[in-house]
Amino acid sequence: MAEETKSGMHCAEFEALLFDAIDGTLATGPLGQFKAHAAACAACGPMFADADAGQRWMQSLAEVEPPKNLVHNILAKTSGKEVRLAEQAGIRPARSAAWWQPVFAGVWATVRQPRFGMSVAMAFFSMSLVMSVTGVKVRDVAKVDLRPSAITRTYYSTQARVVKYYTNMRFYYEMESQVRDLKKAMTPAEGGTKDKTKDKNQRKDTTTSGTPKKDQEQNYARDEMQPLLADASMSRTNDVSAVEQGTRQLGMGDVDGNSIFFTDTTLTDTTSIDKARREA
Amino acid sequence: MEDVQVVNLIVRRAVAGDSNAWEDIVHRYNRRIYNICYRFSGSGDHADDLTQEVFIKIYKTLSSYDLDRGAFMTWVTTITRNLLVDHFRKTKQDRVTDSTDAGTSAEEDSLTLGDQLQDSGLLPDEIQHKRQVQELVHQGLQKLSPELREALILRDLQDMDYRDIAIALKVPEGTVKSRINRGRAELARVLSRTYKQVI
Repeated sequence: MAEETKSGMHCAEFEALLFDAIDGTLATGPLGQFKAHAAACAACGPMFADADAGQRWMQSLAEVEPPKNLVHNILAKTSGKEVRLAEQAGIRPARSAAWWQPVFAGVWATVRQPRFGMSVAMAFFSMSLVMSVTGVKVRDVAKVDLRPSAITRTYYSTQARVVKYYTNMRFYYEMESQVRDLKKAMTPAEGGTKDKTKDKNQRKDTTTSGTPKKDQEQNYARDEMQPLLADASMSRTNDVSAVEQGTRQLGMGDVDGNSIFFTDTTLTDTTSIDKARREA
Repeated sequence: MEDVQVVNLIVRRAVAGDSNAWEDIVHRYNRRIYNICYRFSGSGDHADDLTQEVFIKIYKTLSSYDLDRGAFMTWVTTITRNLLVDHFRKTKQDRVTDSTDAGTSAEEDSLTLGDQLQDSGLLPDEIQHKRQVQELVHQGLQKLSPELREALILRDLQDMDYRDIAIALKVPEGTVKSRINRGRAELARVLSRTYKQVI
């Protein structure tokens, strides 16, 4: 505020007297000087006007009547005297706003929303579905012992069951594999005289049973395309004509040094092989 | 016997465990505390809860009141003011989203129009206008900062002297006067703008 003296009063003095003037306790003499300064000073005049208006606005506010049950609620929460008197008189006291009401009001407002209800319903439905599929019953869940010792015991027993199951499965597959190998080993001896159609069926079965490719090829070679090694210990010069003759009789084949491979696909019988060997 | 002495005697009895004395204290001060709470918080529901909290606090700490340190009313006002400041800090976020005209005022709930007509002898239009003005002033008061608001309430509504206000607010007396002056001027400016818009 500007330190000016107007109408015989300094602005600081004006401010000091401001509260007395507004409160109406300022004496008549100083009040005249005060009003004269307010009218002359550009800073103090509006300040006084605003303060005076604000005070009048505040005084326009009437006292508010408190709620009727306020005293009762206060006494009920402090000394409890009102409650005792009401109980003696058989009067049910008016409900007061408990501390938890504002807390649960927001929660309850959220719960009442349809979106929340649908989410809860879907969660319940999903849990019921999972429990029914997995075979879990509510009665079993209720009987679950949640003590640390019980949980540890459950863990180790479950682990032992898993290990045992794995060992049993391993033993089963090993046995199954051995039986399958044994069957395969038995198959050529039993089916050596079978006709070509049966051999084809057997090959199909073998292929679909998951037998390794090497075994399949071995069986196939034994059955149809079995390469025959004719141990010809004869001299090339003496027997080449006979070999060529035999080859010609078979219709296929070739001479390769001392060894002769017959790749005739029509050769299916051991008697034919022996015959060709003798002829060679 | 003077009023201060009577109050001190009642307080002593209440501290000694006299439930009648405590009831007397509640009856003496509930209206005053409720009005402070209502004008400061701006809500009748909040004022109800805050008034109960204030009396629970007084009941628990009544034995710590020192008769020599000041008037019982000043001590009660200090407790009220501290709780109001705590409440103001807690509900700061809520108030940001609140509309100024949200909720019903305690003035509307307290008396019916018939009661007011019977009490004041005013015409219905005058009562309605007075009610609107009070509501505007009440809303304008909520727009002031809490420091200015509490000083104005204690001075202009509770008629406390500057020294007691300074004790209750724990600030020097000069600061109290400055706040009151600034509060009144600010309220006048707020209401002049609002009043022009309304009219």
